[in-house]
Amino acid sequence: MIFVMRPFYFLLVVWICSFAVVNSQEEKLTSDQVMFFESKIRPVLADACYECHSNEGGRVKGGLALDTREAMLLGGDSGEVLIPGKPDESLLWIALSYTDPDYEMPPKNKLSPDIVADFRKWIEMGAPDPRVSETVVVKSEIDIEEGKKFWSFQKPVKPNTPKVKNADWPGSDLDHFILSKLEEQNLTPSSKADPETLNRRLYFDLTGLPPTPRQQDEFLSAWKTNPEEAIESTVDQLLASPQYGERWGRHWLDVARYAESTGKETNMTFPHAWRYRDYVIDSFNADKPYDHFLSQQIAGDLLPAKTDEIWQENLIATGFLAMGTKGLNQDNGRQFTMDVVDEQIDTMTQSVLGLTVACARCHDHKFDPIPTTDYYSLAGIFLSSTTYFGTIRNAQNKRPSDLLILPVPDPVGPQISDSELESLNDRLTSMRRELIQLRQDRNNAKGNAAADALRQSIRTLTQSQVLQARINGYYEDGTPKTFAMGLQQNDSPVEAAVLVRGEVDKPAQVVERGFVQVLQHAETPTIESSSGGRRELAKWITSKESPLTARVMVNRIWIHLFGKGLVDSPDNFGTTGQLPSHPELLDYLAVRFMENDWSVKSMIREIVLSNTYQMSSDFDSANYDQDPENKWLWRANPRRLNAESIRDAILAVSTSLDLDPPRASPIANVGDVRVGIRVNEEMINRPTTYRSVYLPVVRDMTPESLALFDFAEPDTVRGTRESTNVPSQALYMMNNPFVTTQAKLMAADLVKSHETSRDRILDAFRRCYGRAPTRSEVENTIEFFKTFNASSQPGSNRLATSYLSMATFCQGLISSAEFRYLY
Amino acid sequence: MSSGFGYLAFAALANEQARAQENPLAPKTGHFPARAKRIIYLSMRGAPSHVDTFDYKPQLTKDHGKAGKYGSTRGAMLLKSPWEFNQHGQSGLWISELFPELAKHADNLCLLKSMQTDQPNHPQATLQMHTGSFQFVRPSLGAWSLYGLGTENANLPGFVTLNPFGSAQNYGSAFLPAIYQGSKISGASRRQSGRNRDNALKIPNIKSENLNREQQRIYLDYVQSLNQSSLEKKVHQPGIEGVIESYELAFRMQDSLPEQVDLSGESEETLDLYGIGNNPTDAFGKQCLLARRFVEAGVRFVEITHSSGWDHHRNLKNDMEKNCSEIDLPIAGLLADLKRRDMLKDTLVIWAGEFGRTPHGQGGDGRDHNNKGFTTWMAGGGVKGGFNYGATDEHGYEAVENKMHIHDWHATILHLLGLDHEKLTYNYAGRDFRLTDVHGQVAKEILA
Repeated sequence: MIFVMRPFYFLLVVWICSFAVVNSQEEKLTSDQVMFFESKIRPVLADACYECHSNEGGRVKGGLALDTREAMLLGGDSGEVLIPGKPDESLLWIALSYTDPDYEMPPKNKLSPDIVADFRKWIEMGAPDPRVSETVVVKSEIDIEEGKKFWSFQKPVKPNTPKVKNADWPGSDLDHFILSKLEEQNLTPSSKADPETLNRRLYFDLTGLPPTPRQQDEFLSAWKTNPEEAIESTVDQLLASPQYGERWGRHWLDVARYAESTGKETNMTFPHAWRYRDYVIDSFNADKPYDHFLSQQIAGDLLPAKTDEIWQENLIATGFLAMGTKGLNQDNGRQFTMDVVDEQIDTMTQSVLGLTVACARCHDHKFDPIPTTDYYSLAGIFLSSTTYFGTIRNAQNKRPSDLLILPVPDPVGPQISDSELESLNDRLTSMRRELIQLRQDRNNAKGNAAADALRQSIRTLTQSQVLQARINGYYEDGTPKTFAMGLQQNDSPVEAAVLVRGEVDKPAQVVERGFVQVLQHAETPTIESSSGGRRELAKWITSKESPLTARVMVNRIWIHLFGKGLVDSPDNFGTTGQLPSHPELLDYLAVRFMENDWSVKSMIREIVLSNTYQMSSDFDSANYDQDPENKWLWRANPRRLNAESIRDAILAVSTSLDLDPPRASPIANVGDVRVGIRVNEEMINRPTTYRSVYLPVVRDMTPESLALFDFAEPDTVRGTRESTNVPSQALYMMNNPFVTTQAKLMAADLVKSHETSRDRILDAFRRCYGRAPTRSEVENTIEFFKTFNASSQPGSNRLATSYLSMATFCQGLISSAEFRYLY
Repeated sequence: MSSGFGYLAFAALANEQARAQENPLAPKTGHFPARAKRIIYLSMRGAPSHVDTFDYKPQLTKDHGKAGKYGSTRGAMLLKSPWEFNQHGQSGLWISELFPELAKHADNLCLLKSMQTDQPNHPQATLQMHTGSFQFVRPSLGAWSLYGLGTENANLPGFVTLNPFGSAQNYGSAFLPAIYQGSKISGASRRQSGRNRDNALKIPNIKSENLNREQQRIYLDYVQSLNQSSLEKKVHQPGIEGVIESYELAFRMQDSLPEQVDLSGESEETLDLYGIGNNPTDAFGKQCLLARRFVEAGVRFVEITHSSGWDHHRNLKNDMEKNCSEIDLPIAGLLADLKRRDMLKDTLVIWAGEFGRTPHGQGGDGRDHNNKGFTTWMAGGGVKGGFNYGATDEHGYEAVENKMHIHDWHATILHLLGLDHEKLTYNYAGRDFRLTDVHGQVAKEILA
């Protein structure tokens, strides 16, 4: 683990994930040197080494290839193997000479002393290697200046408010933009939504929860006095409630592909990821300016921090870059590092800039003006930091990392006593002793006995690693440490070599750390040679000159209030993305967003107070015939609730919803494990009554209540969710014990709260639909009770049947379409 | 979009004939006689290499290690296939040694060796493979098939996708009525292996703990009355229609589905045929057998997805061998089983990934994405067996003969189902939409 220090006055000692840069200059070799290599060295390499260590042969064990001069100098996972002139420091000679039992090559087959001596001599000579590869320079054919002409690469400028014919309709500038397009298309805007519908829409959109009947009453009575004031005060109240951050924080978590495990083949837990989740929720509740929110996530560890608490928050924020999927079973360390960097570039550019920069990893971007050199300029920035994501080493996890230790203690588990810690340490010591013994057994035994010893050592080794991780979680006095995932800048920044076709063993020219050229702007900072560049990256992205940052975010906000974006491809504003339906409006909102100090709450407020947002979703055949997809927004889009809101609403109407956030996460309590045994389906789906945003988010094991209703799989940036209606959802509503239990609880509460069936029915409809039932709905309900009660099994208890009918009625409301739709 | 037929058809209309007229899933005849009545689509996500499986390239072997000459990958070193190819069957089709069992059915395979798609990226290409468009939300191939032909078993979804991967759009109905979308059935736990035949698929929430069937029907009638009242208030609500239909199908599936996925009636011999209970064929074997059971029960379109992934940028040698060993025997078993049940003649089996891979190597033991040329195959359902269609260049980089774009592939599949891809349209937003947009040529040469 890493004890992080406050920026600006620290010296952090971390090993550096160095990405060695190859010098492809050729020196002149003498003919003797060439002869020596060709006669003594090359044949041995080819004969004894290439089988496992060559690109041509197809195997690059330990990340080491020996078939080119460059690859040999590059080294492998264990670092450099050849230091010309210094055989004793060269792992190559150490391995060939069998002087270190951990590095003996070729395995089981020591080369003859003559050959080993030749290698020593060759290294002493300076390792002259005549094998020539071309000096590769990857060139780009992209015309950046031409590329800049594309709409989204130009800075948004606040447009003039367009004129409209129907001057009475607009209530705000925003409305002018919408109405002018509608008028152009000969469409007429829908009337204002009725107050019940509108209030329900506001509650769900701003907090993710339905209004209670009482909250509906309050709104309706305020509406009678003054509709505008009623809306405004409700909006302000909802934006100020802690439920707002839970709703809107979750939207960001979709974009940030937040998850509590690595995913992929090995799928190890991230027990500390929840700190990032809570940070996001708190940030939205505090209405943290979006530019600062981004700066923290990209470069929080490098921002000045007046207090430890601020510093702590900044560090947790960098978890954004650490919690991507990880292929932990990767043999090749350099490949793993480049994959982590790729994931960081991909997530950061898609989420914040709406650009798929990672497409330029192997070649110039096929569609956008992003040369592959831009990609490696960004890669240099991320390679100049180390990513701390945790996980523990085991047979399937070859790439664990340390974690950050936070400055302000906030541990999840309890303190343990000295003696407990001591006994843990004792157990570890005895396991280590056992391992040494087993190693000897293995060497002495043959056949089955040797295999048994091997199996036992693997078991013991795994157990000792789990135990070691546990012990590492405590200080010497038994106080648990407080960990987080995140990034730290390395002491020596590096520049990345462009990799030909993205292949880690095919380095071409080295490029300076930098940004995406087509998005250079007036305030693009320069990266000093001493700086890794993440701080500058954050400045570049959060500058008001940046053409995409504000546009992408206001479009995300728009999606969550209208069901679809002004740009329909929220994670792709490039040339293969969709063009904006209302480009002027998008720019207007982007500029407003920045003018209001990047306040998300102000942006939401401005939008929901518009007449555009407050339109009804009523159908109109003339409008529909012309614009069935409602591209021009002649009405509100009917929308299905997202998975979290469906589950939260079920808990809300049954009155069992617990609004207090739980501490940490079930994954934090389990700790570092591989998903499958202790983290399993049963555990993930264990019924709880807190809000859905706090359910465990394990990759490839999403809770059923979320997965069935189109939860955003956290493998990549997700700006939109799908909205399906399928039989598996119907089966869930019909038969799942969570639903039936909540329906029973709701029934019990209705019976307790009201004397008459009439009142119970009325209350149930208002809880579920935010409105009273229509006459025909009442009739159908009465009919339902009659039929259901008549159907009861002979001999069954009448009271039980009447309770079951009430519960089934509640389940019926919860199951119905209107419960999960927003009009 | 027409409104409300779901509930009307299922709940109000009792008699079969009326139901047949109104039920959008009732079996329909196509535009001309169908060669294939049903489809089993074996989806190989991640894009398997064609030059290591079905597209034999001796020149690639000869030029191994030389610099390639193709497009943006010019200069990359060509990589020969590590596997041998041999000729099989009377037809003498060249098939790689990776498929020893499947090769025994060479005379049933129609290799489409000149496939092309627009995008070399997985999500987009997968989407185009399924919907024709990589950009817009469009109905999937299965949805179009169901829309065109209905289904023969009202108690099961007409379009089933087992353990799908990726976007729901791949089996979605887009603007077609929601009833035509694929029903995703997942839950075949990867860890479940062995001959637990009654548990080949774990279907959650399939049984009510609370209500007997009569009570459940009363509950459901009530739910549908609420939905119906929403529908009346809010015209044109595809979402609500979708909910209505999903309940009716779910209600019927409670009985039919567990029965359908219960393999306990299958003989030991059949299980062996599919490699069920044995490593490494168990998981895919079960999916293949389930696919056969579904189409046998009258499901129109079944897609199964091989879970391991074929994106072999690295570890080509080991991972191809592993993947092929997982699917070789099960697919051979499926073909044999369909044959002996006399179902292969009108069941179209399709094997396809979203694109192919480059003839040049990546890191010496991998291949990159290639959308310019790749191979898929079909079997049964009215296609010529033991037949090669189209060809790539000498190294397998790009299709050069009888190019078959995804649109052509779709047109051909619809044709085999008896549907004219230019006539199978749906009017939406004032325009007639087709699976093939304005493209698509039926590959007549492959018709038996």
